Amino acid sequence: MSGCILVVEDDERIRSSMRMALEGEGYEVKDVGSGEEGLDLFASAPTDVALIDLMLPGMDGFECCRALRRQSAVPIIIVTARSDTHDVVAGLEAGADDYVTKPFVAKELAARIRALLRRARPAEEEPGALTFGALQLLPEQGVLRTADGAEVHCTRTEFRLLCELAASPNKVLSREQLLDRVWGYDYFGDGRLVDVHIRRLRTKVEEDPALPRHILTVRGMGYKLVP
Amino acid sequence: MAVASVAARGSRWRRLGIGARITAVFGLGALLLSVSMGGIAYFTVRHFLVGERESAAQHQAFANADLIRSSLQSGDTQYSALLASLDAGSDSHSVLVHSKTPYQSSLSLSIESIPTRLRDEVEAGSAATQTYPAQPQGTIEIAVGVPIPSVHASYFEVFSLSDLAHTLRVLSLTLIGAGIFTTLLGTALGRFARDQSLRPLAAVSRAAVSIAGGQLDTRLEPETADPDLEDLTDSFNAMVDQLQERIEREGRFNSDVSHELRSPLTTLAASLEVLEADRADLPPRSQRALTLLSDDLRRFQRMVGDLLEMSRVDAGSVDVFLEEVHVGELVHHAVEAGVRSLGDGATAPPVVIEPDVATLHVGVDKRRFERVMANLLENASLYGGGATRVTVAAVASATTLLDGAHDDIEIAVEDAGPGIRPLERDKVFERFYRGSASGRRGTGTGTGLGLALVAEHVRIMHGRTWVEPSSSGGARFVVALPIYDGPTGDEEVW
Repeated sequence: MSGCILVVEDDERIRSSMRMALEGEGYEVKDVGSGEEGLDLFASAPTDVALIDLMLPGMDGFECCRALRRQSAVPIIIVTARSDTHDVVAGLEAGADDYVTKPFVAKELAARIRALLRRARPAEEEPGALTFGALQLLPEQGVLRTADGAEVHCTRTEFRLLCELAASPNKVLSREQLLDRVWGYDYFGDGRLVDVHIRRLRTKVEEDPALPRHILTVRGMGYKLVP
Repeated sequence: MAVASVAARGSRWRRLGIGARITAVFGLGALLLSVSMGGIAYFTVRHFLVGERESAAQHQAFANADLIRSSLQSGDTQYSALLASLDAGSDSHSVLVHSKTPYQSSLSLSIESIPTRLRDEVEAGSAATQTYPAQPQGTIEIAVGVPIPSVHASYFEVFSLSDLAHTLRVLSLTLIGAGIFTTLLGTALGRFARDQSLRPLAAVSRAAVSIAGGQLDTRLEPETADPDLEDLTDSFNAMVDQLQERIEREGRFNSDVSHELRSPLTTLAASLEVLEADRADLPPRSQRALTLLSDDLRRFQRMVGDLLEMSRVDAGSVDVFLEEVHVGELVHHAVEAGVRSLGDGATAPPVVIEPDVATLHVGVDKRRFERVMANLLENASLYGGGATRVTVAAVASATTLLDGAHDDIEIAVEDAGPGIRPLERDKVFERFYRGSASGRRGTGTGTGLGLALVAEHVRIMHGRTWVEPSSSGGARFVVALPIYDGPTGDEEVW
């Protein structure tokens, strides 16, 4: 599998070791040392996945993440030295799709990248078009649109999550199932990934995200989609 | 010696506790006050009443003496009739001494029962009055003696103040009653004062408990606090400010160190993986070196991870993500993952779950639980010859949660090793403790933090950890977690 990966990391030694390791996994790697350079490079060259370190000089990782998210739905993985709730959740809120904690194993990072790239392709079992509320989900075209045809922009991870929920409407999917199907994690994946993405999804598909009517939390079980 | 005994008394007094001391001071104060006020009242009233009676007695005695003088001057020597004719109440009796011969008005009185001092004074020629206690106990008598020199006689009259004695007895009983009441009231007031004065301390104590529990932004409210305790409030808040600052500084230091340590480790790990990918191209010597390098790097990574986790626990900056999960699924997955992390050649122990337990829920941080199981399995593999089985059972809990009694889920990892000696059963959960069974530091030693982290992770998830002998004589490490039976339904977890 190949793809073009943008690495934003200020530590040159980590950068070159990551470049070597990822190139060893068969990816094409472009690396830069600051968020500003990262945004410039992203604008000029095609990128499949962005890897952003949270601790950057100047524009920090969160800001870089938000700036990237404003202009693109490209999958973003944040790299953090801390697994504190605050950093991880703030990074996910800033628009990241996934995270890895330093020191990471390159194989694990490659697995995360693979899962994100796989997600960009259609899943094997796509649900047919589904209408809920004022929205229409067209999995095959990768489109979520309102009744009057305007497209609702969401990231590929959000879209994938919505498709998984829509594939079995009214059925509860556990966090573990969603982590496995959307992110490719095993049982011990981080449930916060699901929670933050669900919250982000709600701001896009619910009329009142605080009182969701379509994407419901089932306490102690998981989430379900009610058309 | 005296100093020593005073000091000993002092310390015994201090050991009473401030609440008891406040109550005691109020009680004793009230007792002292009521005793002294009662005493003063009693003696003032007594003095006044007795004085009044004395002057009345003198008045009557002089009047009677006057009558006797005129009778004797007229030559009347019918003493008994004379004495009987005198104006005397039922509680007074008279003695007339004429020509050294006493005549008395009543059989109950003789000249001997009149105090000698009084008789002497009268004989010397001056009138005198004496008040003295008499029989029965508590009665008072006033004796008045009047010399009648013109007829060579002396007249004595003795007044028994039995009614006054009764009045005084009633008065003293009333005063004692009032004294007891006042003392009790004082004690009650003392308890109230104790509660009042200890209330601000209770607020301090609550704040301290909350701070110790990790709520570092807890402060005493300066505006609602007692103005007299402003100093305490200020110094308490200043202390917590400093404490918080220090903890935050340590937290920052920790995160800086974490970043600094993790960066080179990341480079090392990534570079090593590049080398691993080309392992086949390396000469055998370099391959062996690479194996050593990668084994120790993994160990180093784990140790840094454990140390950072431990310092986060110490700094109170743990982040917990409790999820409600099925016990059965959780344990199966955790054992699988734990065995995987042990590396090649490790086999999974059988997992024995009580049938009705598998579907119960526990509130756990899944990743912490995974670490717990991995560490317990690693411990069993390093020191107990590998885990022989993992059991899951529900038992009545030894502790209570806020909502009262509940059941615990006990997850136990058993091994068939030498077991843990009773004296070491608490110590194995200490950091870097290496028990007698751990042997020398060799290829397969752990980080020394594994079991300590197990205890911390479990504590963070509101559970308990201990070790006991297994049925086969090995060690049985038990993790008890509270069963989660909270509300279910459409509710936001976040």
